[in-house]
Amino acid sequence: MKLGVFELTDCGGCALNFLFLYERLFDVLEFYEIEEFHMATRLEGRHFDVGLVTGTVSSHRDLEVLREARNRSDYLIALGTCATHGCLQASVELPLKEKLKAVYGDEGNPMRALDPKPVVEYVTVDLAIPGCPYDKNELFQALIDIAKGIEPVRPDYPVCLECKLNEYECVLVKKGLPCLGPITLGGCNAVCPRSGLGCIGCRGPLPGEVNPAGEFEVLKGLGYDEEYIMRKFKTFARWEP
Amino acid sequence: MIIETREFTRVEGNGKAEIVIEGNEVKDVRVKIVEGPRFFELLTLGRDFWDVPDLEARICAICYLSHSVASVLAIERALGVEVPEETRLLRELGLIGELIESHSLHLYLLVAPDLFGYPDAIRLATKHGELVKEGIALKAFGNRIRDLIGGREIHGINVKPGGFGRWPGREELEAIEWEAKALLTVAKRAVRLFSGIGEYGGRAELFVATDGYLTGDSLISNVERNFQYFERIEERPLVYSFAKQSLYSGKPFLVGSLARLLLKAESLTPTAKRLFEENRERLEAGWVSYNNLAQVIELVYALERAGEIAKTLLDKGFEPENVPVEAGDGEGIGYVEAPRGVLVHHYRIADGKIEYSNIITPTAFNHAMMEGALLWEARNLYGNAPEDELLRRLEETVRAFDPCISCSVHFVRG
Ligand code: SF4
Ligand code: SF4
Repeated sequence: MKLGVFELTDCGGCALNFLFLYERLFDVLEFYEIEEFHMATRLEGRHFDVGLVTGTVSSHRDLEVLREARNRSDYLIALGTCATHGCLQASVELPLKEKLKAVYGDEGNPMRALDPKPVVEYVTVDLAIPGCPYDKNELFQALIDIAKGIEPVRPDYPVCLECKLNEYECVLVKKGLPCLGPITLGGCNAVCPRSGLGCIGCRGPLPGEVNPAGEFEVLKGLGYDEEYIMRKFKTFARWEP
Repeated sequence: MIIETREFTRVEGNGKAEIVIEGNEVKDVRVKIVEGPRFFELLTLGRDFWDVPDLEARICAICYLSHSVASVLAIERALGVEVPEETRLLRELGLIGELIESHSLHLYLLVAPDLFGYPDAIRLATKHGELVKEGIALKAFGNRIRDLIGGREIHGINVKPGGFGRWPGREELEAIEWEAKALLTVAKRAVRLFSGIGEYGGRAELFVATDGYLTGDSLISNVERNFQYFERIEERPLVYSFAKQSLYSGKPFLVGSLARLLLKAESLTPTAKRLFEENRERLEAGWVSYNNLAQVIELVYALERAGEIAKTLLDKGFEPENVPVEAGDGEGIGYVEAPRGVLVHHYRIADGKIEYSNIITPTAFNHAMMEGALLWEARNLYGNAPEDELLRRLEETVRAFDPCISCSVHFVRG
């Protein structure tokens, strides 16, 4: 099977995390041949059984790369919160012109920047694995499943549940920290509450029956002001309570 | 005529170069950072200081901890917080882990294929599996330290103003001390391997670093001591790049491993110092390609230093105690040596909220130097070598800087 990894505008973490599979990377290579991996290689593939796209679409160049990746991949995975929800760079709510002006001076837009948007707003994907970065075990499992012809399982429980399973002290109730664990998609094994810190929501909202309005009220009850809470909700995904 | 390279591979992020030829002569080289803008300074404006380091970490995955630490230092300075020695040492340990992770990634997975003539590390592994495995072992160790201090391999949120979310325990530090010792042999072997690197990319003349080895209160250079970044360094936007360019008193300069070794060799650990002395003459010649050699010597330094820090903390013992931080007003700069060089985070805080934020990353500091190095190579090779060799050499030159393009694309107007 042929694998392509495509990087749009991002921090490099989601591409790097793939390399951080270490020895298990060699297990992946039992099934896949890496035809394109910008960070690690310089070969150019034509057709991919599986394509991984990381990052947001933030320029016309990104859009071209994304369209190529979609057209040439049978199974396309949006990998990481940038690709699935837009992550941080999509959370600055100003017209693009004003953002560029604030950062680069008033030179116009010679590099043809676009307002940062997740991959899923431009093309359909076959699987979305959020996380900033995603959990590498989840990607590993998904790649192995696809190679074996099985549709990967998607987690459907909140970070909160993983805290309970690990018997971590609840930072929201015990310490009054602003923790988004109850409404954030689990799968990271509650790694931030493990450090005694509140989940900042990097895996994006839990789809389905989640109750952001309830979370909003809880945080208000703890004394956080509305603007602060809204900003937290909107940081990784554009989340409406 | 303009010759354009394809997008650089085996570097972090997306960029390419353009060589401008007029009348059979190389007139100019432009390094175009095509990765889109990420607006980090705008993102932090109005945010509560407590949340900011976790967001800044996302600027870059290879050196997320350098960003968190620089951000935390700037906040602590702005709010007048002093942390005890053990907190400082643990942060340094985190940065050391990051240095190991980043340098080994760069050297073993990105540069080594050039040395052996392979397109990438995966294919290199078919012939030199041991070498690639050693690189991966070093990298994994660096990441273990990042996990321990930073809270996760990538984008952990454990480093906070005043201290840590979770403090490492004795056994964890013992493991670090022990493992660092075991891996030192591997790093020493690598020095021999990478000292085979040739001379290319032109010679740098100006070097800038922070005054301490990995963090500092000010900057130093080979022409002056202790200045603040805004006193000397000027940034300018370019029409052809999402990254800005910096000049030091009007001239390009180099930050990173080579600059650190040349400016701060006296702080090195014993073996690293010896290796530096053995290679001093070559390093002092200032060839940009020797940045790779400097990195491998730093790998030895980092492993020795990791052991030293763990031992110091274990010997003297420490209480996991955070300094309380109150929201207030103030201005502060955090200077950190990210693996690739000087990183600056500068904030003004009003009532606990970020009011002004400026970040300059190593790749932005090096951008002008990088263009200079490519110009030098292009002039040297154009007309004397086939075009594909020229392009290959340019790519190698870019790689010597170990640029981090993601980092470089979000600057606010100074
Ligand atoms: S999702 Fe997070 S880790 Fe992944 S590329 Fe985006 S910023 Fe980096
Ligand atoms: S705990 Fe929350 S912020 Fe931390 S990794 Fe998991 S989802 Fe992300």
